[in-house]
Amino acid sequence: MKNIFYPFAIISKSKQLLIVLFWFLLLMLTWFVGTAGEKHLFPSPVQVFEGFSSLFNEGLVVHIFSSLKLCFLSISIAIILSAFWAYLWPIPVIKVLSEFITKLRFLPLAGLTLYITLVIHEARNMQIWIMVIFLTTFLTTSLISVVSNIPQEEFDHAKTLKCSKFETIWQVIILGRLDFVIDVIRQNLAITWMMLVTVESTVSSEGGLGFLIKNSEKFSNHGRIIALQIIILCIGLLLDWSINYLRKALFRYSKI
Amino acid sequence: MEFEFKETLVYVENLSISYHGVCIIKDINLTEKDVVRKGKDSTGQIIAVVGRSGRGKSTFFKALTGLVPLNEGKVLIRDFSKEESNSAKNVEEGDIGFVDQKYTLFRHKTVSETLLYALRNSAFSATEKETKINGLLKTWGLESVKDKYPNELSGGQKQRTAIIEQLVSSDRFIVLDEPFSGLDVGNIREVKKSFELLSNSSEYNTIVFSTHDIQLATEIAQVIYVIGYPTINGEQKKYGTIVAKYDLREMGLCWSEYGPKHKKLYDDIVENMMMS
Repeated sequence: MKNIFYPFAIISKSKQLLIVLFWFLLLMLTWFVGTAGEKHLFPSPVQVFEGFSSLFNEGLVVHIFSSLKLCFLSISIAIILSAFWAYLWPIPVIKVLSEFITKLRFLPLAGLTLYITLVIHEARNMQIWIMVIFLTTFLTTSLISVVSNIPQEEFDHAKTLKCSKFETIWQVIILGRLDFVIDVIRQNLAITWMMLVTVESTVSSEGGLGFLIKNSEKFSNHGRIIALQIIILCIGLLLDWSINYLRKALFRYSKI
Repeated sequence: MEFEFKETLVYVENLSISYHGVCIIKDINLTEKDVVRKGKDSTGQIIAVVGRSGRGKSTFFKALTGLVPLNEGKVLIRDFSKEESNSAKNVEEGDIGFVDQKYTLFRHKTVSETLLYALRNSAFSATEKETKINGLLKTWGLESVKDKYPNELSGGQKQRTAIIEQLVSSDRFIVLDEPFSGLDVGNIREVKKSFELLSNSSEYNTIVFSTHDIQLATEIAQVIYVIGYPTINGEQKKYGTIVAKYDLREMGLCWSEYGPKHKKLYDDIVENMMMS
């Protein structure tokens, strides 16, 4: 048992599970004890549970699906746009544009949204396009990094098989790195999820988790806020796990 | 063993390559002809290229396979699309197969898919392609792994897949960059067997390989070229070129057991390498 305190010690799976359980119980205990008194900054477990229950009665499931729909719609459009810029990145005339797009990720969300609202008037579309514009900058950056890290040997290999330039792009970059695209989506999902909640709370449309957080904040309902944070975290983790599972299931050769 | 040289298969003249103004290899000249042995149906050509690191062996291979543009000179190979003997053509990408040190393959294709893709431009029908692929898989001992991806293959299986892939695509010429590096005794034996298989399967099959294992080169190659920095007028130049050629067939050392003469050759080659 002592070895669990030694650096780089190899421990059994059951011990690992025990450690996780220990920290979880400690966290729960701290939460219960720390919020036991009358005055406390953080909402008590009972308050959070009540938050869950009131959210559920208000149609939490519908709001979750609304957020997921926005997430999938925007990430799908963004991945198509990013793939276009990243796959054409090896072409010198496009390279400059692709790299310019990656630089735009430093722009703040506020300010630019004003210009988007001037062009797009419908709230849902506005949400989607704000997400798409910002996600495209991040996804393009990641996808260009995937393309630029392909070893020269793979391109030479395609050449030795008499592949044309576009066959090389298709075989080496597009088909050969399809699993990486899935992983790029997974890696950027945290940003997507975080941005989604912000966008939903900024531009109110068909509800969504961001909308619920904003409402809860307005009425300082701490129990609901923490309940929503837990829900958002769990959905995020579930999406991360699902995408990783999907990648491994679809691409047997994928070992990233 | 009695043998004779027939038509020219590879002809390199004054080959020079520079990257960003830096000369890497210069004035490389070589001619390799089809060798025919009495009493043997087919004898492919096995050519070794040795030299110290950084002397331009890999660059030479890339130029030989048409993967980099030539600054000067030409690389001609026998044009098998024409029936006239000695008909030649300038080498282009894909004319000569190239297997690099990592045995690079398409990571998203299984062994059978890899071979099918290599045959995509051939005139064979779908059934003929399937028959050919099955035959190759059987000959090269890859039947059991035909549905596996490169990351699921052993080093030897990967290398054999890469060799036959290049062979079916490029037709008769194959260049291997250090095929023996990092292999254990068993794998080295497997690669040697692959060379034998290649050599025995067609008269025109020509294998060019580089190695740092000089003894191995003297054991299996018919010709050994040493690439190094030449010394001209007492000054050692900083580009690679062929500084020595050993034709083991003419020296009577080819197709025979490794013996003292091979050892002497080994010493000569090492000395030449050290001086260049």
